[in-house]
Amino acid sequence: MINLVHNEMMKLVGKRRFLIISAIIVVLLSLFTYAQARQSESIRERLGTDDWRTGLQQRIVDWQNRLSSAGQWREQLQIQIEQSQYYLDHDINPSEPGAPSFIRGFVENSAELFLPLMVMIIAVDIVSSERSVGTIKLLLTRPVSRFRILLSKYIALVLSVSLVLFIFGLLSYVIAAVMFGGKGWSAPVLTGFAVRGGELDLSGVRLVSQWQFILQQFGLAWFISLVVGTLSFMLSILMRSSAAGMGTMLACLISGAILSNMVSSWESAKYLFMVNLGLMDYLSGSAPPIEGMTLGFSLTVLAAWMAGALAVSFGVFIRKDIY
Amino acid sequence: MHSRKVRWLTLFAAITCLLWIAGLGWAAKDYLLGNASGLVTTVETDEAPPPEPDTFRIVALGDSLTRGMGDNEGKGYVGYAADRLKEEGWNLSVVNLGIKGLTSAELLKQLEQKEIRRQLGEADAVMMTIGANDLFMGGETLSRFTEESIGKLEDGFLTRLNGILAAVRELNPEADVYVLGLYDPFAELEQGAETSRVVREWNHKTMEAAAGYPGTVFVPVYDLFQRKVGDYLFTDRFHPNEKGYKLMAERVAGLIDESEGGPQA
Repeated sequence: MINLVHNEMMKLVGKRRFLIISAIIVVLLSLFTYAQARQSESIRERLGTDDWRTGLQQRIVDWQNRLSSAGQWREQLQIQIEQSQYYLDHDINPSEPGAPSFIRGFVENSAELFLPLMVMIIAVDIVSSERSVGTIKLLLTRPVSRFRILLSKYIALVLSVSLVLFIFGLLSYVIAAVMFGGKGWSAPVLTGFAVRGGELDLSGVRLVSQWQFILQQFGLAWFISLVVGTLSFMLSILMRSSAAGMGTMLACLISGAILSNMVSSWESAKYLFMVNLGLMDYLSGSAPPIEGMTLGFSLTVLAAWMAGALAVSFGVFIRKDIY
Repeated sequence: MHSRKVRWLTLFAAITCLLWIAGLGWAAKDYLLGNASGLVTTVETDEAPPPEPDTFRIVALGDSLTRGMGDNEGKGYVGYAADRLKEEGWNLSVVNLGIKGLTSAELLKQLEQKEIRRQLGEADAVMMTIGANDLFMGGETLSRFTEESIGKLEDGFLTRLNGILAAVRELNPEADVYVLGLYDPFAELEQGAETSRVVREWNHKTMEAAAGYPGTVFVPVYDLFQRKVGDYLFTDRFHPNEKGYKLMAERVAGLIDESEGGPQA
């Protein structure tokens, strides 16, 4: 079994997928760190001070001014204001300067779309490419059961997802550390904000160290990526063309991002996997897309979709005629 | 790629996999089961740094006028006044705490916030516009105002204004406080004469109240908008436009420049 997995990893490394992914991450990171550095510079210029309290206070007032014209974002903005006010009242800097704070924000923003996209690059042709090149026949003529062959491919996928997450974390740390310095792992982070009935609930708020928070974030990001990876894996078995699989998966991810903003009155949409990908929102305490959704609920829904996709994958692959 | 290298890579991937699973499990434990771990009870936050000594700190308080609503550049009189002072060589820090639609009652409440108190305490100059929302309340007052209703509004406003000025003075006994008056955006309308009279009286009482506090200066703007009010108003016929704000800014900037005797070294 280990040899089979090893064999699959060889193929993935041979395809240079990890290099491509690293290159994409490096380019994006450079853009984002530069943008953020410029932004904090312009704030400093506008306020004429470096003190984060002044900056945060000004940001809160700016948000308060946007409230009246915020429309559907009003509630979200209100919650954001209250959260920031809480930070300010407790004298805690919500974004201690340094690479860890940058990572925290970056993971939060990329877990829903960017990371799954990177994982798709690996997962979407993991089976279909073998079929289009024809190597699948060679693979299946070996005296190994189809189940084991597919399982080895899936394990390779899980390992790749983990590796992509690691590459992502390492590169963001290195690049952000160059820009902002590497300190701040033990800076305090407030967490446990919850939204109930459109109101911010502060009863569960507690302090954790930044490194704890980031590790938990990565755990959730890993799970999101794994779910998307598993679904892409299924598509790569069902569809002959990698492009078609990629397109389908992309459509799902993007529709999820759009749906999350407009399904608040369509209750049963909460069983769709793409609406549940915003696991990060539960950590940061913003309002879930549909009232009543919780971290446990979303994790369960995602796990169910993943189990379903695996069942379909194995069922189809074992019975399918390969020609 | 060498097979051995890939073997190491695979092993390493397995280790990271375990790490992420641990993170996921930890997150689930903390956020699902509710018995949060790793509670840090005390935080060592750095004390707020002492304000830079060579910077002149301006804090602006108040409503949409302070915010700069109606100005295409969004600067408002605060921004333009700061621009002018900077041109003259001032080293400024400007914090604009103006909020659209703020009434005197809400400003009084805003002054209870810890961080805002700190900002005010460190300020060298405070600018504020307040009262327009008390008086005009979205145009309601004007359509059906009587002597009595205006009198009531005035009394309430003056009490709160006194509270605001006293609070600012208490927080900061030294800063110059500039209270900008009201102009009459409705001067050219049918009831213009009436509304103008109300605004003048309002201004007069505001000025009298301001006179009760040391270092508190009432800055009239009524006259700036008295002639050709239409030229200085934004398309909503209520807020000043860029020109209007620049006129207001000139006045405040001039006062600051005079009272401090030019840019400080």
